[in-house]
Amino acid sequence: MNIFDTKRELSGFVLAGLILMVLLPLSNALAPEGSIFHFAGYQLSLWGKYITYATLAMSLNLLWGYTGLLCLCQGLFFALGGYAFGMYLMLQVGVDSVYNTALPDFMDFLGYRELPAYWKPFNNPIFTMLAVMAVPGLVAFVFGFLAFRSRIKGVYFSILTQALTYAVCLLFFQNKFTLFWVDFTFGGNNGFTDFKQILGANINDASTTRWLFIGSAAFMLLVYALISMMLKTKFGKVQQAIRDSENRVRFSGYSTTTYKLFIFVLSGMIAGIAGALYVPQVGIINPGEMTAAKSLDVVVWVALGGRGTKFGPILGAIVVSMLKSYATRAFPDSWLIILGTIFVLVVLFMPNGLVGLPKQLAPWINRFRGEKKSAEPTETLTAS
Amino acid sequence: MSPFKKLAASLALLASVANVTYAGETDGTVKVGVLHSLSGTMAISETSLRDILLFTFDEINANGGVLGKKIEPVVVDGASDWPLFAEKAAQLLAKDKVAATFGCWTSVSRKSVLPVYEKYNGLLFYPVQYEGEELSPNIFYTAEAVGQQAIPAVDFLLKEGIQKFYLIGTDYVYPQTTNLVLLEYLLSKGIPLENIGGGLRKDAKGEVISAGKYTPFSHSDYQQIVSEIKDFAASGDAAVLNTVNGDSNVSFFKEIAASGLTADDCPIVSYSLSEDEFRALPTKDLVGHLGSWTYFMSLDTPANKKFIKNWKKWLKKTDASGVQKNDRVTCSPMVLSYNGVYLWKKAVEKAGTFEVDAVIKALESGISFDGPGGTVTTQENHHLTKNVYIGEILEDGQFEILESFDDVYGEPFLKGTFK
Amino acid sequence: MPGGVSARHPFQFNALRRLLPMKKTLLVCLHLLLVPFVYSDSDSSSRKMLEALALDRVDSVDDHLNALVETGDPFIKEFVDAWRVGEVYEYELENTEKVILHRVSEQFQLLTTGEVLEVPEVREEFLKKSRASRSLRKDLARITDTIDLASPNLHTRIDAALKLGQSQNIVYLPSLRSRLDRETNEKAKRAFEEGIMISLLKNAETPGERLGAVVRLGELASLKGRDLVIKIRDENEEGGDPELFAAAHESVLQILKRQSIVENVGSFFRGLSTGSVLLIVAFGLAITFGLMGIINMAHGEFIAIGGYTCYVVQNVFENAFGVQSGAFQWFFWVSLPISFLVAALIGLIFEKGFIRFLYRRPLESLLATWGLSMVMRQTFRLIFGAANVSVETPNVLNGTSKLGLVSMSDTRLFIVIFAGFVILITWLLLSKTNLGLYIRAVMQNRNMASSLGIPVARVNSMTFAFGCGLASLAGATLSLVSNVGPSMGQTYIVDSFMVVVAGGLGNLIGAGISALGIGVIDQFLQPLLGPVMGKIVVLFAIILFLQWKPGGLFPTKSRSLDD
Repeated sequence: MNIFDTKRELSGFVLAGLILMVLLPLSNALAPEGSIFHFAGYQLSLWGKYITYATLAMSLNLLWGYTGLLCLCQGLFFALGGYAFGMYLMLQVGVDSVYNTALPDFMDFLGYRELPAYWKPFNNPIFTMLAVMAVPGLVAFVFGFLAFRSRIKGVYFSILTQALTYAVCLLFFQNKFTLFWVDFTFGGNNGFTDFKQILGANINDASTTRWLFIGSAAFMLLVYALISMMLKTKFGKVQQAIRDSENRVRFSGYSTTTYKLFIFVLSGMIAGIAGALYVPQVGIINPGEMTAAKSLDVVVWVALGGRGTKFGPILGAIVVSMLKSYATRAFPDSWLIILGTIFVLVVLFMPNGLVGLPKQLAPWINRFRGEKKSAEPTETLTAS
Repeated sequence: MSPFKKLAASLALLASVANVTYAGETDGTVKVGVLHSLSGTMAISETSLRDILLFTFDEINANGGVLGKKIEPVVVDGASDWPLFAEKAAQLLAKDKVAATFGCWTSVSRKSVLPVYEKYNGLLFYPVQYEGEELSPNIFYTAEAVGQQAIPAVDFLLKEGIQKFYLIGTDYVYPQTTNLVLLEYLLSKGIPLENIGGGLRKDAKGEVISAGKYTPFSHSDYQQIVSEIKDFAASGDAAVLNTVNGDSNVSFFKEIAASGLTADDCPIVSYSLSEDEFRALPTKDLVGHLGSWTYFMSLDTPANKKFIKNWKKWLKKTDASGVQKNDRVTCSPMVLSYNGVYLWKKAVEKAGTFEVDAVIKALESGISFDGPGGTVTTQENHHLTKNVYIGEILEDGQFEILESFDDVYGEPFLKGTFK
Repeated sequence: MPGGVSARHPFQFNALRRLLPMKKTLLVCLHLLLVPFVYSDSDSSSRKMLEALALDRVDSVDDHLNALVETGDPFIKEFVDAWRVGEVYEYELENTEKVILHRVSEQFQLLTTGEVLEVPEVREEFLKKSRASRSLRKDLARITDTIDLASPNLHTRIDAALKLGQSQNIVYLPSLRSRLDRETNEKAKRAFEEGIMISLLKNAETPGERLGAVVRLGELASLKGRDLVIKIRDENEEGGDPELFAAAHESVLQILKRQSIVENVGSFFRGLSTGSVLLIVAFGLAITFGLMGIINMAHGEFIAIGGYTCYVVQNVFENAFGVQSGAFQWFFWVSLPISFLVAALIGLIFEKGFIRFLYRRPLESLLATWGLSMVMRQTFRLIFGAANVSVETPNVLNGTSKLGLVSMSDTRLFIVIFAGFVILITWLLLSKTNLGLYIRAVMQNRNMASSLGIPVARVNSMTFAFGCGLASLAGATLSLVSNVGPSMGQTYIVDSFMVVVAGGLGNLIGAGISALGIGVIDQFLQPLLGPVMGKIVVLFAIILFLQWKPGGLFPTKSRSLDD
């Protein structure tokens, strides 16, 4: 079975893989600093961040573009995965210089004398990797089960996901909270930061940066291939059918709840892994990643790039992030206005996003080309 | 467009913005970074710091610059987005190669850029009162440490005869840590535990680990809490130590005023409210309450008068974008930013170079500057020795200075030091 | 470590005096015993004495304060308040004589006579603000408290009695007792007795007296004395006085019983007020979302428009009339209709501009209005600055009212009433006007309505404008209790959506009920779980509620399968 639609897509995929996973890291490692060919370390981190954003956008696209569920809590799954990995990184800091305890700083403030039980397993990287997938997956499962079973869809579903991310955000902003009679602490509004070691390597080493970048790129390409493949299977077809008309699919005998739940959990897990790759490259995770606004940002990326397409979310995430990086520097006072206006225009006039732009402009382009060809006046049949 | 072409286009874009590096220092100028939130929730406070920094740079440039080079500010907007702060910091250091950065307000933003400054061996000046318990080799804290704000105010209140203290703050690390230190300090001064209000948190063994009432950010319902304070203050010798942040103070003080509690019945010391924040607060509800900073705009010294005059003059003629020209005041964080720039300048001149290691060493050796708030001196532990003033709020949003403590040492590690 | 110079102050009184507060207040209270029950108003001698005090012309402050108390003049309190907020000035007349001026409504009045004095511009340099030292103010506060014991206003007397009682300062006991004998009002008598009993808990001369106080406080179910009685109970639990312990135990039970009633009623009323805020905020959204199928993520920014309009109107009035004048107090009421119109107009423009392309496309409208919200927020920042701006509370709404057992600040009371008003005008609009009829028709079936000749496009615009106007009214009222700033709307967005969704799309009654319900539940949970957890639990509860009733409280009934 072919994963890709066209030969061009396959070659693009391979090329992307080569550039991202081989060329750029090599240029960072081998080319001397200051030369044009050197891809600096901080740029690797920056682009690594963009790549994890692109993966996050793809996970939302899976849910929204292909299944028709607008989820406004994708940022929550991203952050949960990030927190899980962050817990591992915090424990890897070891004995900190300020308090000389093996406990993370914020626990020292709060008066903890020993590590709480639910933190202990995060010393183990394997457990952490599983947690990165399991925690957002579990949240998605529980929420999705309740929501889909009651046939909540459309706008209601979106608002509910927004409420979910808002509630969890409020929860995590507290320094300590009690849930089901257990006290949890996750660093409060400062979150986790100041990481030192990851999997035995120093986090600030150039080689660590490179490997994180390669890892993010590999994961993004993997997800792309996965989505590509899935779209061609029967599962993917059912999924798109659900987007188009859920009731008919249900009447045709499929349990749409199961399909939706599966997709929801899968997209949550993908977002979680993306979050886990994001945290070491950015160096901080805090509840600000869970706000409703951040999840709406993801929606902006997908909408701008083109939802329902494979490459759209990647393009959207990267373009908007680069735009934001550039505009906060060049127009610090008005970049929000610029971004907002662009977004409004995109929604109104480019329903298929950037990816769909060429097709949208095609009639004009053809007409333009057509007019050029026929420079001499020809006989035209008048329609009367 | 095929995915391939799109990818190529993206890479081309990448190359165009990526590999253009800016030299930090050219023949005539030196680059200096300004890293603040100019949009988002923190913009309220941080835009004033950006403004005062631009003013300071202009003032220095008019007087010949630093080591003969003019300062060229690189202003970036952190947008109240902490990962963006880290990204901008990395850009300032690796791409623009700034000689020093002045920035950050919230502890989160500082904590997120700290590893970046340590990784690239940069220099950051941090001007905002904070909770201490931190010391980075690459950061200089011109900010008030707990011992330079919270504790002198408590000393003043004890002198006035206050015996009961109600602790209230927003639920994040600054109030939590400050109240921890204050709890220890009050106990060490002989204030019994039952005179400390707001609620006590005990650990599993029953030992008290923290005190105080904490409300979330943007909380606006203080009715319950204010009636509790009213009962607490009924004995006539109570005060409130207020570390509530920003927004919520409006609701808090409106509720206090509505309950009939006056500043004479129960004075409230607010640690996060300066002249700048009063522009947004109902000042008539605040009259008579107290503040504690290392600078007040109403300081009657020639240095301060000159500073304010020049600041107002600069406001009139500047054409920097986004600077609000009317209703401007000066406050402690602004002055500490100003002091930070001059301290850096002096350190550079002492070291003879812009190189970060040499400048840090010069700063650690002890450099003094006569700022608008009095003389400030750098310490080896990257903090400043400065004066502390206790002031009473007047109806025009200014402070009347009641007491001053000269040359208070800045010590970030206070927890556990009071017995 | 602390040292340094104290700021020199014009009213730095003898430090020795600080050592004798007890003696002074004792004298004060003794004098009060001699105060006649009825006192004259605005006694000119008290004014003269205040002037002397302010000009530092007194030899013995103690005696002076005693004399002031003797007059029992309520004007003293007014003056002390004015002195605190900088409304008192020292002015040197042409003959170099100094007088004290009291500023009332932008005019200067001579303190001693109350007549208006014109201060010519050339003489303005001889005018300077007068300030009392902190210690003097504290003494004056004590005096005003004592004078309040005899105030003609019932609530003032009650508050003063309880306050002085709670201070447990023995010097006030005699005056409390003497006032109790003279008191005729039942409520006041109860309050005085409560105050005395609380004071006796510490100052009782015999154990029997203390025991009597403990018992009486239980009978009165005194909430103010609760903590003190609990302390006595705990002290005597083991090895203390068993009789005292038993009495205290009994009293505590009685007090706690009353407390829970008061708390529940209080929570209910607070819930009403929180719910009213939610209702006003969510109603506009219910209309645009429920009736028109547009998710307006910029709803919060229309709220901010209301707040900012209020601020602008306030500034206009301030410049035109001055802060002190009576006319200034009207700014709030004037700003209400203005903010409605401004927001309605802006909403209309946006609607005609691009929102009309988004009907029945809720997800697109969500995205487009989110972009709009970004633009609006930054525009506010550019126009008004990133800082929050302050809006004054009009005097008439400043203060608290007691409704039976609970007291609520007047601003919140106003919000509850205003919510009712909002419901009223919306109901009137929808059921009594033609526009309302059209709106309901369009909501049920757009195409059919259009076929019947209803100008659908115009109805849409008007409805959207109305929804935005309501949001703006919400913002104007919210300026009374919280901040006005560029991000002011963001705090209410998620809550408003929850309210609308829980109530059922398209159903205003549902939105109203769910708003009030959510507010009450939130307030009941707050004392148990704390403000944050309470809110979180409410959110989760709504999510679960929607599992049970996916369409909300009153789901829209339609035959189409996809609705």
